[in-house]
Amino acid sequence: MLSRLRYILRETLDSFRRNATLTLASIITAAISLLGVGLTLLSQHAFDNLLARWEGGVEMIVFMNPTATGDQLTLVNDALTTSDQFIESFEYCDEICSLEEADRIFAGEPGVRDLLTEDTILTQFKAVPTEGTDVDLLRQVSDQFAELPGVYDVSFAEDQISLISQLQSFFGFRLLLLSVFLLLAAILLIWNTIRTAIFARRREIEVMKLVGATDWFIRIPFMLEGLLHGIIGGVLASAGLWAWNSQWTSGVESFPDNSGFSALVVVDGYDQTVMLIMLVIGALAGAIGSGIAASRFLDI
Amino acid sequence: MIRLENVTKSYSTEIVAVRDASFDVAKGEFVFLVGPSGSGKSTLLRMLNRQDRPERGAVWVAGRNIVDMPPSRVPHLRRNIGNIFQDYKLLLEKNVFENVAFAQEVIGRPTHVIKQQVPAVLELVGLAGKEDRLPHQLSGGEQQRVSVARAFVNRPLIMLADEPTGNLDPATGEGIMRLLDRINKTGTTVVMATHDQRIVNTMRKRVIQLDRGVIVRDQARGVYE
Repeated sequence: MLSRLRYILRETLDSFRRNATLTLASIITAAISLLGVGLTLLSQHAFDNLLARWEGGVEMIVFMNPTATGDQLTLVNDALTTSDQFIESFEYCDEICSLEEADRIFAGEPGVRDLLTEDTILTQFKAVPTEGTDVDLLRQVSDQFAELPGVYDVSFAEDQISLISQLQSFFGFRLLLLSVFLLLAAILLIWNTIRTAIFARRREIEVMKLVGATDWFIRIPFMLEGLLHGIIGGVLASAGLWAWNSQWTSGVESFPDNSGFSALVVVDGYDQTVMLIMLVIGALAGAIGSGIAASRFLDI
Repeated sequence: MIRLENVTKSYSTEIVAVRDASFDVAKGEFVFLVGPSGSGKSTLLRMLNRQDRPERGAVWVAGRNIVDMPPSRVPHLRRNIGNIFQDYKLLLEKNVFENVAFAQEVIGRPTHVIKQQVPAVLELVGLAGKEDRLPHQLSGGEQQRVSVARAFVNRPLIMLADEPTGNLDPATGEGIMRLLDRINKTGTTVVMATHDQRIVNTMRKRVIQLDRGVIVRDQARGVYE
């Protein structure tokens, strides 16, 4: 068992050395395509941060002054309850809930976030309209909420979501498409590298078959080689993503507070999840590319 | 040990490599397959280690019909068959020891067994002391000896040799034949395809002659005609 393992590792590393140029090309291609996938996921998450307050079908938010009294909160609560022909449900996001939301929204602006405390944060009533409710009608109805005591402002999802969604789908789709093409290119390049490695070692493989090596014994070093291409590509892409995200985060901090970019950073550990996803996709791409090549071209 | 029953193998509708061939080879026998180029000698050898399969007939090796043998069992069959080729088929970047050890390594022999058996077989073929040489540092005869050592190191039941002296001068060829004879005397069945009239006439072993895929002669202690 140990000698087989030693043999497999030695053959895999030998193949790396013999096909150095092609190996490097397939690793770089895998890394670039995986970085594309990673950036797509990261940007989608950043856009999701921007949309955080509108999650769950929320279309209208009534912001309450930090100084609003209990009676004033009850008044708004009752007004929303009695508007059940327009509003299906609503929930009150108190100081703690609003501060948690601010953690995401102002992730790129720690200075702004630090200014927000339980005494200064605006609490919110988040309302989900009844299905089929005309948002324009809701907007008219909401005028009465804006007049209620203790209300700071009333916001509508439509205004913000449409722009953010447009941006999200514009960037997301194109980046994803590019990543998928690059990933296919990486799989093909890994496939071709393994095919070349098999071709370069055809004499050896012929001898192996004649002395009674099983197909799996012959295949495994090649499959491992492809798997390593994908994993190394994933590691490089992870390093690239980490560098990119760090640069982006520090860059966004220097933007003006009202630029709207503050939420477009990922500091909640999601980047590590994306790195893990990239490693898994890299390993899968490597295994698929090399697996197909090793199964298809070993009959020599 | 080997039995062919009405074996026919063709590569196209026009080219019939072996036609209705039948013969038996007993354990420990030494058999020459003779005949001109294209007579079907190599095809017969390829069918004995399941590199090729006949369209018709049965090929029995060590008590099993290998024609219908599932592909997963073929490696196990081949571990009992040693192969020697005219062009040696050595791995050029591996040295003598590594070339021979390779045959054991790929079937999962432990390192301590390899370290014990490879020097012993190299001693047998007369290559002791040349373990570190690369194939290009050896003569043709020495390269063929490495090939014989690699074929024999797993102690196969059967040795298939396809023109093993074809690239060697007569004296070197004789040395290889003495080696094969010695291996045969250990109980290994040897089937050898050859053109070499002198060797066949000197050895006086069983001769199966092929002509355009048909067995035209099967003679004990035969000569080349």
